[in-house]
Amino acid sequence: MNRKFTRLLTLLMVFAAHIVVAQQITITGRVTDDTGSALPGVSILIKGTNDGTHSDAEGRYVVSTRVGAELVFSFIGMKTVERVISANSNVLNISLETDATFLNEVLIVAYGDQEKKAIVGSVASLDSKTLEKQQITNVGQALQGTVPGVLVANSGGQPGSNPVIRIRGIASANASASPLIVVDGVPYNGSLNNISAEQIETMNVLKDASSTALYGSRGSNGVIIITTKRGKFNATPTITLSSTMGVSSPAVPLHKRVGTEDLFAYNWEALRNTDMYVNGNSAVNAGYNAANNIVSTFGYNPYNVPNPIFENGEMNPSRQLLWETDWEDLILRDQSVRQEHSLSVGGGSEKTKYFFSGNLLKQQGNVKTSELDRISTRLNVTSQITNWLELGMNNSLSLTESVAPNQDGSGYFGSTQNIYQMSPIYPVHRRDEQGNLILDSEGNPIYDFGIGSGLVNAVRPILAGDNIIGAFENYKSQTKTTNITTNAYLNVKFLKDFSFRTSFAYENFLTNGYNYASPEYGYAAANGGSIAQSRNIFTTVNFFNKLTYDKTFGSHSVTADAIFETYQGKNDTFSASANGFLPGVVVIGGRTNLTNIGGGIDEERLLSYLGRLSYNYGEKYFLEGSFRRDGSSRFAEDVRWGNFFSIGGSWIMSEEGFLNSIDQLSFLKLKTSYGELGNNRLGSYFPYLQLFETGWNEGGLSGVLVGATTDPKLLWEKTASFNVGAEFGLFNNRISGLIEYYNKESIDLIFSKPVSPSTGDRSVTTNIGALRNYGLEVTLNANVLKRDKFNWDAGVNLSFDRNEFTELSQKEIISGANKYTIGSSIYDFFIQEWAGVDPADGYGMWYMDVTDSNGNPTGERTTTKNYSDADRYYVGSALPKMIGGLNTNITYGNFDFNMLFSFSVGSKLYDWDYANLMSSVNVGENFHPDIAKRWQQPGDVTDVPILATQLPIPNANGTFTNRNVSFSSQSTRFLFDNNWLRLRAVTVGYTLPNTIAQKFYMKNLRVFLRGDNLLTFSSLKGGDPEQGIAGQSGLRSSILRTGSLGVNIQF
Amino acid sequence: MKKNIFKIAMTWFALVIMTGCADYLNEPKPTTSVDEGLIYSSREAAEAHLAGITRLSRAVYNSVSSANLSTIYCARSLKGNDFISIPGNAWYRSDYDYTDLFENGIRSWFTWVFMYDVIQQINVFINGVTNSETISSLDKTQLLGQARTWRAYCYFELSLEFNLTYQKDPEALAPPIYLEVTAEGKPMSTLNQIYNEVIIPDLQFAVDNLDETRLVKSFINVHVAEGLLARVYQVTGNWPLAEEMAHRAYGGVVNNALAASSYIDGFDDFTNTEWIWGMQNTTDQTASWYISPSTISDHVNGYYKSLFVNANFVNQFSATDVRNTFFEVNNVTDYRQYATTKFTFDFESDMVLMRTAEMILIEAEAMFRNNKAADAHNLLFALQYNRDPSAVKSSNTGDALMEEILLERRKELYLEFGVEWYDAKRLQRGITRDAKHSIIVNLVPNDPRFVVYVPLEELNSNPNIDESVNQRWQ
Repeated sequence: MNRKFTRLLTLLMVFAAHIVVAQQITITGRVTDDTGSALPGVSILIKGTNDGTHSDAEGRYVVSTRVGAELVFSFIGMKTVERVISANSNVLNISLETDATFLNEVLIVAYGDQEKKAIVGSVASLDSKTLEKQQITNVGQALQGTVPGVLVANSGGQPGSNPVIRIRGIASANASASPLIVVDGVPYNGSLNNISAEQIETMNVLKDASSTALYGSRGSNGVIIITTKRGKFNATPTITLSSTMGVSSPAVPLHKRVGTEDLFAYNWEALRNTDMYVNGNSAVNAGYNAANNIVSTFGYNPYNVPNPIFENGEMNPSRQLLWETDWEDLILRDQSVRQEHSLSVGGGSEKTKYFFSGNLLKQQGNVKTSELDRISTRLNVTSQITNWLELGMNNSLSLTESVAPNQDGSGYFGSTQNIYQMSPIYPVHRRDEQGNLILDSEGNPIYDFGIGSGLVNAVRPILAGDNIIGAFENYKSQTKTTNITTNAYLNVKFLKDFSFRTSFAYENFLTNGYNYASPEYGYAAANGGSIAQSRNIFTTVNFFNKLTYDKTFGSHSVTADAIFETYQGKNDTFSASANGFLPGVVVIGGRTNLTNIGGGIDEERLLSYLGRLSYNYGEKYFLEGSFRRDGSSRFAEDVRWGNFFSIGGSWIMSEEGFLNSIDQLSFLKLKTSYGELGNNRLGSYFPYLQLFETGWNEGGLSGVLVGATTDPKLLWEKTASFNVGAEFGLFNNRISGLIEYYNKESIDLIFSKPVSPSTGDRSVTTNIGALRNYGLEVTLNANVLKRDKFNWDAGVNLSFDRNEFTELSQKEIISGANKYTIGSSIYDFFIQEWAGVDPADGYGMWYMDVTDSNGNPTGERTTTKNYSDADRYYVGSALPKMIGGLNTNITYGNFDFNMLFSFSVGSKLYDWDYANLMSSVNVGENFHPDIAKRWQQPGDVTDVPILATQLPIPNANGTFTNRNVSFSSQSTRFLFDNNWLRLRAVTVGYTLPNTIAQKFYMKNLRVFLRGDNLLTFSSLKGGDPEQGIAGQSGLRSSILRTGSLGVNIQF
Repeated sequence: MKKNIFKIAMTWFALVIMTGCADYLNEPKPTTSVDEGLIYSSREAAEAHLAGITRLSRAVYNSVSSANLSTIYCARSLKGNDFISIPGNAWYRSDYDYTDLFENGIRSWFTWVFMYDVIQQINVFINGVTNSETISSLDKTQLLGQARTWRAYCYFELSLEFNLTYQKDPEALAPPIYLEVTAEGKPMSTLNQIYNEVIIPDLQFAVDNLDETRLVKSFINVHVAEGLLARVYQVTGNWPLAEEMAHRAYGGVVNNALAASSYIDGFDDFTNTEWIWGMQNTTDQTASWYISPSTISDHVNGYYKSLFVNANFVNQFSATDVRNTFFEVNNVTDYRQYATTKFTFDFESDMVLMRTAEMILIEAEAMFRNNKAADAHNLLFALQYNRDPSAVKSSNTGDALMEEILLERRKELYLEFGVEWYDAKRLQRGITRDAKHSIIVNLVPNDPRFVVYVPLEELNSNPNIDESVNQRWQ
């Protein structure tokens, strides 16, 4: 703050001095480009000092200096202009020319940086400007719709949850298919949600072999390089304060459910039909039985009469509803709050530059108690000690605390499961047999856990033993993480053309889990409550040394790197659980009994030798080759070393004379690369060893069990990757674009080969099979309109990715709803095909193959009412045919407006959630309103079958077997086209004119309104279209829609 | 100066490259697991593997109704007439209403996968102990005797679940046999092979080589092997040997083998003298809610309370019978009237696998079949009198005496291993439910619903077994 005060003081003195000192002069003016349009954000510095300003949204600026000083006007992509100030320079309008060499922009790549034009591979860069346009809780989400070739699959609404990220298809079936994350040059093992978007300068996505080969055995899934912000030499300190506050709600509503009365009617019908068909009772008798049994089948009766429904299916007119629980309302928040505040200071002297940032985030999820709190700080300092020695250090500390009620999947506390499964007939609080609230000694209602005693309102057949609303109050589950990274480096220049860099990085990622269940209520009450705690410390040590030779001889330039690197990742785990706690005691030390202690240390190491050689001729022709040799402790000693390489080249055609005549073409570059990479990332640290696992103790005896069968020769996967692309700029680069094609073939997949469970194993992990990914990526950006105060940019990017098996261990492998065969994709649905409802009896039907006398399919199909006989068919893929994003930025005067859409076309979604809501097997669970269209009598033509819990199902030989109805079992009945378009982010901002801002001693002030996920258009009938990469809904909460108001002030 | 920097940098670079290599990659070692050499280096270490296998049998595999041995037995207990499940989606409901028999069901998957997981462990153990060069031959036979008893036990339970009974058709296809570790799925065997090539030789080896000693009561000793062999012969109909083995298993003296007062202790303590074999649960090693049947049957301390006792079964007990653990839990006359306190639910409740009373009743049944009806009757009454001091010896003879023995089995062994279903299946009788039930399912003798299908996962991954194996039951 001292610095800021000094700065304010300086400013004041400048103003004061203006009055008395004759040589002082205040200059106003406007900066435009060569077409006359305003250029905002141009840096205007007084040469030789750190003082200066920036142009505002209209290109205007005000600056004070003395006569004779020089002003420097600079802007990325424009040629820098310098002007000497004379006594009559009060108004100085400047026009900046486009700099044809704007491609000199430098990008961070593997183990270094490169000029953009020299890059021969496929590198997409996302800068802080794009990141600032969204409210990002997890920086992985920023890649959705902004980088072609990157599939980001969100699932669930827990704030900060890590999305699934796939770069250029899915390169692995059973090992990790996620990209490697590298932060400031060091592989990152923390959670992406520990990183604040506001501290990121660029996120670069390395997609092809040439850009990732230097990551060798970890590079085949692509690499995301995150570079944090740095200060600048010779820059005045810039203090930035920003603050956004907003509210969130689910982006998409959940499926609808019916009310109590409909539940009685439909379940009565299901019970009656079952009794008629299974027991052969008449409709009248079955109706009578159903009316008699419905309350005992529900276990609960929300009406004041013992027989709320009559034998004819009519509701009892004298009934009164005592309760109708709206579980959704009780489980979800009406509004959840999001706040983010940050303070950063960046700048530098002649020799030292620095950047500091502190960021505070608090985001609630839409499920009650769900929350993420994060504090992240970062300090990056670089110092040029002498002209040949540079030292630097990057440090970050990030603390998160999250409460994450289950929002993704099943379980007693699955929030979406409770909403979908628990029907309104079940009360939140205990009721006696007459339906009156049971109160405790203090007169308060008691949560109903569904395990009471009595005939009715006591034993709940659904999620018995718990109560999610009670759980919010009586249980606590939280995770705290601490992530510390520190990275110190030294850069030495010597002998004119050589430089040497050594870097040591350490990361400590600490995860603390805490689970508390009350001794008084709920599942642990019988054991006096329970506490389970876990503490995992993941430490990473990365050490690398790089020797670089850089030389230009005439038109030839050569750069050579030799690198030696060691990597060590160690996971130290400890856990303990205990029970027997007094009410109010919430720490594990207060236990009566210790129930479990666990812990162990796993370690992985990599030893690597790397080399890279780049050559260019006349800044026109570029060639580059990389090599890496990796030794990995994950594999047996005799097979653990592997070699990886790439080679690539590019040609800037627009530099050639023969293209000069085409005025419209301002830039054209062709590039191609090929390389072979690896993937060593699988769940186990010693996947090649079959070992005896400890911990299976029997009383006082130590116990062990032999682990799964392993392949002692297991090795990394290898991916051969080819890339070809063209970058172009048209009309003075007002239109620019990129088209790339890739083909990746992953062989020796680390594959869980299924084996017969009767052998005692279910699968063996071995190197077998091959997967091919190929696709096309297109990016187009245009400056659509440029007038005086008005500027409109727009961009679109599209990716077309395909994935197929080219080799497998066996002819076919069934994996859940998918089947792997040669030529099929890893996420192709292979399921039973729904053939509709038979109008005669209301049974659902599926297709099956007609077979000849030898049992071979003839190609014809017939229908069956026996689900076991239904055949499975390929019916579409969960992977989209096309994904992409649209973005547009408009500035008008001091106003700015931008929108970012992301979309996905051509995938299928299997909606298990809807299927369960359409199932009549489990009496007491919710129904979707679509159940109204059920088959009721012969002749009804509908797609919703008869309601029943069991039915006699015909066997092939004509006999019948009573089975639970399978109408909601896996089939195309619940497979839907999933095309969607989402307004990912929209922002409207207003920047105060510089002249006014400066009166308040600010460099800049901007206020903005921002909305994330405001609109979702989808081809689904309900639910969030983003349901993870496998395209199957799974009791997830929706991602959040957030509206915020923000302010950003720079001093 | 610059030359010096160059030298320093080069030296540094060379140094780090050279120091790195050698053992850097060999240093990481597994910490939570040990290798095979250690496990089979001594009897004590090998017993750690047996301890692990014992623990596995009471692990938590999947769900409340598909977790461990106790859940396989509880599912069978709910398939008869004596016990009733509440409607709706209660645990075990789909066993009770016979809808979880099929290839895509959890019962099929769980029983198959669980038993074969144990068999794989046993086969690794047998191979390791047999090839050990440091375990003495006496220790080897004792270790192998325990292991082979476990293996016989698993194959016996598989044969009960995935087949009609042995005597219906000994040549019927039966689950595949693995006597050593392999990655290749094997074809179906026959009941004849399972019983005569695996179960009986394994148990005979154990009976010949084991003694009474064991490390803990959840381990196997000679009496466990004898008791299992008695059960096996009871199924195959070898009554002379069934009689002999049952007699040896309980020791032959009824009053020494029984302790009537312990019957009401809650069946939660494996040190009970009537228990020949049982699984323990301790505070720090518990199957928690996954202990059946108490998790569903105990209406006082239990959790799910979804199991009721058929009033007609309750009426078979006199008021003075120590086994009359029934009480009126609801004031109604339908299926919700009675519950039992036989099994107390607690995280530390042990699980019963074999008791002396069962052996006494097997001996009685075998005596009857071996034309020693009077001895059978006396033995039966000895048990009845032990359980009920006011018991009066019946005047039954012939078939009526046989029925009395079978009823006594139900009264003595209810909710332990599905005695009613087990007897109906092995004796090729049906199961008839009375009107007390919440759903009435009646099975004829050798009804296909006595059989669970081979799971889909096996059919999908084993080239030697196809779906015709299940189509037998349609």
